[in-house]
Amino acid sequence: MPVPRLGIICIGLILLWQAVVWITQVPPYILPPPKSVVLALMDHGPELLGHAGITLIEILAGLTIGTIFGAGSALLMMISRGTKHWIMPVLVISQAIPVFALAPLLVLWLGYGLSSKIAMAVLIIFFPVTAAFYDGLRSTEPQWLELARVMDAPPHAVLREIRIPAALPALASGLRVATAVAPIGAVVGEWVGSSAGLGFYMLHANARMQIDMMFAALALLSAMALILYFIADAGLRRLIFWQTEQEGTVR
Amino acid sequence: MTLLLWVVLTAGPTSSATASNELNVMLDWFVNPDHAPLFVALEKGFFTERGLKVKFMTPSNPNDPPKLVAAGKVDLAVSYQHQHHLQVDKGLPLVRVATLIATPLNALVVLADGPIRSLADLKGKTIGYSIGGFESVLLKVMLGTQGLSLKDVKLVNINFSLSPSLFTGQTQAVIGAFRNFELNQMDIAGKPGRAFFVEEHGIPPYDELIMVAHRNRVQDEALKLFVEGIEAGVQFLVNHPEESWQLFIRGRDSLDDELNRRAWIDTLPRFALRPGALDHNRYMRFARFLKNQGMIGRIPTLESWAVELGE
Repeated sequence: MPVPRLGIICIGLILLWQAVVWITQVPPYILPPPKSVVLALMDHGPELLGHAGITLIEILAGLTIGTIFGAGSALLMMISRGTKHWIMPVLVISQAIPVFALAPLLVLWLGYGLSSKIAMAVLIIFFPVTAAFYDGLRSTEPQWLELARVMDAPPHAVLREIRIPAALPALASGLRVATAVAPIGAVVGEWVGSSAGLGFYMLHANARMQIDMMFAALALLSAMALILYFIADAGLRRLIFWQTEQEGTVR
Repeated sequence: MTLLLWVVLTAGPTSSATASNELNVMLDWFVNPDHAPLFVALEKGFFTERGLKVKFMTPSNPNDPPKLVAAGKVDLAVSYQHQHHLQVDKGLPLVRVATLIATPLNALVVLADGPIRSLADLKGKTIGYSIGGFESVLLKVMLGTQGLSLKDVKLVNINFSLSPSLFTGQTQAVIGAFRNFELNQMDIAGKPGRAFFVEEHGIPPYDELIMVAHRNRVQDEALKLFVEGIEAGVQFLVNHPEESWQLFIRGRDSLDDELNRRAWIDTLPRFALRPGALDHNRYMRFARFLKNQGMIGRIPTLESWAVELGE
């Protein structure tokens, strides 16, 4: 998405926010006007950025580990049909359980440090990555597989040379979804128990009735998620140059 | 979430403020024995015999109810005295009209068979808290009585996961544990706790649970009748605790468990016997304490944020 259009959307959303404040006369302790949030962002910038850094580390670590696990499970399911019957139900269950219910458990097992938040992020992105990549691996063009069979290619070569490259665009769309939802995992983890991060900051601000600061943290979090998404999107397009737009990936 | 609630309540049928005998009351938390006088009054008909139609609601976040009162979306809310000071300082048009629990319930709790025998043993330990600001002040003052500071401990926000974080050893102490609730919970789980009561370690005594209303409603006859209803409720409660318990769990089966039964007994001596009475000196003393700790900016005249209703 070109930068100007993004800017227009952001400005539009802020105007809408201001309009809601004007029209509904909602008091500032429930929804602060954009101006006071911007002021809070400026007043507490360095502190907020420090917390944002912690959350960013959690998101990036969660994305890395979640991608490795997710791609690994998809490959495993592809190679051995037997494992599919075991992994798939676990995957679905992991999605059916609300992460909010699991978060306290993870925090108690893994402690109040970074690892419980990373685990939350991993948990939340595991499914989109696995499902997308597995679907990609399964839906290779039949003609290509036919060609490999005619040429007598061994199974590992078919996987390496045909199935995986053909599935990478699908994996990429899974990763885009993962990038967009990973911050939720990290913040849910922080919400349950932490001593740093944007989620921690929001808890604090809320308890002290500093609603403008809470929304400032929220704005920063959204900005972070947005930037991450666009970086991931641009990077993936460059890496997977054979992906064509009409393949129906998430755009 | 608060915003959503605000929108829903706005969209709903006309604000309750217009119908003077109908009162919407938002609790601070899910229904628990701390609310006994309210539910005894409800079940005994102490509100209806005063011509009031009272409806109780529970929030998803204990910070929300006073905000909804300030916004005129509900008539009364159960709040905490310390929170009330903070919200008034932030400009919310709220006023305390009654007290439910007249002592602090908050306590610093450790495992009874653990290494923490006195507050001085907390040096170098991890302490869990849930309410940013206020609970750090409690800890700072309590540790200060032992010559320790917040730098001598590690603080972690556990967001109300009190007993579990102690049981798993993630923290060695937690602040924000309610003496009538968490101590029983820990005992039932077979890991009894030891409490350090905040008011015995440097914190001026305060009311844990209060009722707040909008400032422009102090002349409202319905609120005065409501407080009288609570008074009748607490009176019946202390005179007939067992019968009151039966009233409390009637139609609310999920409340009938060992924890609530034990908490019920332990909460009895904590209720305000004169819910409508206001102790001026005590409220001002606590306000000065919060001001000295930098929690609030200035102390407005008491009448603007805490009153006795009536005459």
